[in-house]
Amino acid sequence: MKRLSILIILCSFFSCSKTPQPINYGTDMCHFCQMTIVTKTHAAQMVTTKGKQYKFDAIECMIRFLEDKQDIMASGNLFIANYNQPGTMIDAKTATYAICEEITSPMGANLSGFKNTETAKKIINGRPAQYYDWEGIFNKIN
Amino acid sequence: MADQPNTMIGKVFLTKLIDWMNPKTTISFLLFLFSTCFVFAKTITICKTGCDFNSIKTAVDSSKSGDSLFIKTGLYKESNIVIYKKSLYITGEKGTVIDTQNKGYGFSVEATDIIIKNLTIKNIEVSYTKEYAAILLFKSYDFVIENITVERAFFGFLVQKSKDGIIKNNTISGEGKAEADSGNAIHLWHCENVKVLNNDVRRMRDGIYLEFGNSSYIANNYSTQNMRYGLHFMFSNDNAYENNTFEANGAGVAVMFSKRIKMFNNLFKKNWGTASYGILLKEINDAELQHNIFEDNTIGVNADGTNRITFTENTFKNNGYAIKVHGACYDNIYSKNNFLHNSFDLSYSGKLNSNKFENNYWSNYTGYDLDKDGIGDVPYRPVKLFSYLVNRTPESIVLLRSLFIDIINFSEKVSPVFTPENLIDNKPLMHKVTW
Repeated sequence: MKRLSILIILCSFFSCSKTPQPINYGTDMCHFCQMTIVTKTHAAQMVTTKGKQYKFDAIECMIRFLEDKQDIMASGNLFIANYNQPGTMIDAKTATYAICEEITSPMGANLSGFKNTETAKKIINGRPAQYYDWEGIFNKIN
Repeated sequence: MADQPNTMIGKVFLTKLIDWMNPKTTISFLLFLFSTCFVFAKTITICKTGCDFNSIKTAVDSSKSGDSLFIKTGLYKESNIVIYKKSLYITGEKGTVIDTQNKGYGFSVEATDIIIKNLTIKNIEVSYTKEYAAILLFKSYDFVIENITVERAFFGFLVQKSKDGIIKNNTISGEGKAEADSGNAIHLWHCENVKVLNNDVRRMRDGIYLEFGNSSYIANNYSTQNMRYGLHFMFSNDNAYENNTFEANGAGVAVMFSKRIKMFNNLFKKNWGTASYGILLKEINDAELQHNIFEDNTIGVNADGTNRITFTENTFKNNGYAIKVHGACYDNIYSKNNFLHNSFDLSYSGKLNSNKFENNYWSNYTGYDLDKDGIGDVPYRPVKLFSYLVNRTPESIVLLRSLFIDIINFSEKVSPVFTPENLIDNKPLMHKVTW
């Protein structure tokens, strides 16, 4: 009973918050392409001001989903997987993005996200790649 | 005297030959003979003691293009065996095991005309950023991978930018603990004309995955207990798959963003769970499904954004939903299919959109056939009001099989308000379709 009440309190807490719910890799589906989310290096997620959670299997899926939803994009909290630390999420709007042929992503865009440009360049390690900020990658994909 | 003309011809031929054989050509001819002595069928044996080599790696490094390597029974603790621009035929004796000890790739190949046969490769390293595989083929042409058993695989075979190959009779299995920690059993990336035959793939992420893979043929495979999909197409055109069984995977098959895929005689079975389905069709054009069986799936076919697809002579049996159609589906034809004892035969979003349902057998059909022509005299409405309700409010599923639902379904049948009015099978069959 105690556990249950804690659960209920937790649920009510989460339902109104703008913090992202952890993705259940292997069971959650991508909101845009309906694939099961599996890659901890490329997932993305979003929480709207009302607390609605969206999860994506790839960064490019979130970007394509947001194409005609400028208002949600401006007000919502956007997160992407940090390629450097699989399973951890970072703020999408301040991240650095790299399109590198040799690092494939789930939906074919070869797009990965990094905390900042320095780490991105360090991980890419001289392989051919283009670097973008959020605005840049948004316009590139859509 | 009768053979005079013959000897004449012989003489002329000989003089011509001598004429042609000026010193230059003679030398090159001799050189050719000389070189073939070395090219011809050198078989290198590998075993712990008493063979040409005791390590596969050194044997591969010192072999020449065209050599055969025979690996005798034993356990070889080797990894990252690189075959670069050499045509080799590698076979193992029964009981040959390569243990990569969680260190990178098993074989890493970039070569034309290559055969790897009869081996067990095990313990492939797991990584989030590197796709370690038992066998990696990169820019390889005319390859054969046969009778390979991969145990505790991360990726099984990773084939990139390659063409014209055969992958057959292999068994690949993973630990299957967490979806994100396992790779795909057979992964083709930017490949063309690859045949994937008679493989058994289990407990991986995707059983078989074609990403930008064209004109390939996948047949007689058994794919089970994979975390994500039994078979997965992404941006892959002009492929066919036949006679495969997809059982108890996260979801059976996902065909996405692809054109002209032929799907014949496959069995989609026991794909059960909230996000599970026999087959997902997402942004697919001009595909054909024929003679497939969908049995015991939460959703048999999950269609979203499909155009010009024909479903002919398939059987949908004991599924939660036989077919679930989302938006943006046009010109799909469903004919001569058997819909047997599904909780919902069809769930539909939006308008009918020039999709056609005709001449199907529906086990829920309650009409009659007075003129005995085998076609029911009353049209059948496959979408029930209740399935529409469940679409809007999934929780209402608890009311399934209640009297209340029967009443609203009946009233909707009499005068459709919520379900698409023209979504009818005008000629429902009275008997099951057989083929």
